[in-house]
Amino acid sequence: MKHKLKKRGIGFYASIYFKIIAQDFKSKMSYRADFIISTLGMIMTNISGFIGFYIMFQKFETINGWNYYEMLFLYGFSLIALTPMQCLFDNNWNLRFVVEDGSFIKYCFRPINIFFYYISEVFDVKGLGQLLMGGITLTYAWNKLSLPFSFKTGALLLLALFTGSLFMIAIMNMAAATCFWIIHSGYVMVTMFKFTEYAKYPVTIYQGFFRVLFTFIIPIAFVAYYPSYIFLRPEVPLLTCIAPLFGIFFFWLSYRFWMLGAMRYSGTGN
Amino acid sequence: MTEPIITLKNVSKEFKVLNRHEGVKGGFKDLFSRDYKIIKAVNDISMEIMPGEICGYLGPNGAGKSTTIKMMTGVLEPTAGEIYVNGKIPYKNRTENAQNIGVVFGQRSQLWWSLPLIESFKLLRDIYQIEEKQYKDMMELYESLVDIKSLYSKPVRQMSLGQRTLSDILAAFLHNPGVVFLDEPTIGLDVSMKSKIRDLIKALNHEKNTTVILTTHDMGDVDALCKRIVIIDKGVMLYDNSIENLKHFFGAYRTMRLRFTKNAAELTEEALQKQAEELTVDLKQKYPQASSISVTVDDDWIDVLLNEEEIPLMKVMNHIQETKRIYDVQLQEISTESVIKKIYDKEIV
Repeated sequence: MKHKLKKRGIGFYASIYFKIIAQDFKSKMSYRADFIISTLGMIMTNISGFIGFYIMFQKFETINGWNYYEMLFLYGFSLIALTPMQCLFDNNWNLRFVVEDGSFIKYCFRPINIFFYYISEVFDVKGLGQLLMGGITLTYAWNKLSLPFSFKTGALLLLALFTGSLFMIAIMNMAAATCFWIIHSGYVMVTMFKFTEYAKYPVTIYQGFFRVLFTFIIPIAFVAYYPSYIFLRPEVPLLTCIAPLFGIFFFWLSYRFWMLGAMRYSGTGN
Repeated sequence: MTEPIITLKNVSKEFKVLNRHEGVKGGFKDLFSRDYKIIKAVNDISMEIMPGEICGYLGPNGAGKSTTIKMMTGVLEPTAGEIYVNGKIPYKNRTENAQNIGVVFGQRSQLWWSLPLIESFKLLRDIYQIEEKQYKDMMELYESLVDIKSLYSKPVRQMSLGQRTLSDILAAFLHNPGVVFLDEPTIGLDVSMKSKIRDLIKALNHEKNTTVILTTHDMGDVDALCKRIVIIDKGVMLYDNSIENLKHFFGAYRTMRLRFTKNAAELTEEALQKQAEELTVDLKQKYPQASSISVTVDDDWIDVLLNEEEIPLMKVMNHIQETKRIYDVQLQEISTESVIKKIYDKEIV
């Protein structure tokens, strides 16, 4: 009477994922006030960040050779690149709590990938306000810089945003997964998230150690700076070209790290 | 002869635990320390469980129950020994094993917190790839057993603990697994909900011939559901047989339930405890040779447990009556609770 099970491949996971997101979105919408207030809050946070940015440029004409609109481009770009992490990978923020109180175990009992099951559980709509802000900022900067808009640049922009998001997600995956080893991992999470603030500045303003740190160790330079380079400067550095591949590799690395932690967790029997 | 659905052969599980040092200096030492001690959470346990059995898996806190369950569910790998569930080695392929088991573990719901119940069920149907007909039949069965329809549109987060437990149990049986593991399914529930949950487990076990492994501290669960119990403590198996068999050990034990006041239900817990203490002192003085006598408080009754081979019950009752007025009395066999307690306390075996 047991029927043959289909292999659980990408199609299977995608269909489950969209069903969860759609249902979750529906239920979030039923708390309309909550949705509106949190979206407004997110927009306000971004506006205040933007004001600080604006004031800074009243003082300086350029930052390290990057003018106001180019910086605005980076700013908008980084906001959009941040959105997938905030909307789709928000459950990473709860990881240390469920690991601490032992309820993480429940994610080990289903016949599906643990990382997928855990991450798919939460969809955070707050990030959508940020997406809107980022979209407006980027479009404005794009026009002011008189950048061409064609199929090619559109496709490149999508690829660049995808790359930036991968790095952002990977950094936070790694930060969250530290909770499988250390108790006060909240600091790691918060510190990493603070670092992502720096993603909207050109990495060239940092020297020596910090430059290497933000390029290869905590690669926030890849969230906005390197992917944006292709639109803003004629010469394209090697790091921009390999960014998409490096992004996929880094995401894979963060996934392996996360899973290693999850396996370790169950192994210790908490 | 049917094959057992779960087999454990000399299974052990060891954990390496760091020997912690005290103070700040000790903390630094621990950072680099390789000074581990080995803890045997489960020590050489063997058992076979047949399809359709409901087996109570009992033991005090920290006895190794959940470690054993984690090994059977494929989350933990045993240090030594062999485990087969549905003919397969659980930890070798966690997902394959997960397809054939259902788990309700701890009090946290395993359903999607913000989704209406029916949507959680539909997601589980997709995740476990349940055939449409099987899913429909199962839902029909559920609707005939409990009033679940009224909960379909309710998000899990808005449910009472009872409703949540009910939903979690139904979710665990949904893909018709060979084995369902239930960890303290009735904890924190009121009396009527407890009996509802027990009836449901019984009915599902009966309808689908599902094997159920039940860990609990509630002897009401054991009495209502389990024919067989396995008891472990400190990782070692103490008992594996039927409850009936266990009670034979205590054939000569009787419980005398007494009430010394008219409205005992209105007495405070402390007042009852005080009555029990007075009685203990009195009986100890009068019958110093009868070591089996123990006095406990249960609800608003005072329970006197004794072994009639040591001291006749009537003799004790007469003695009590000489000094105190008894308003109400019941005589019972030894309760499952007391039997299990005696095993935990190593009074037998």
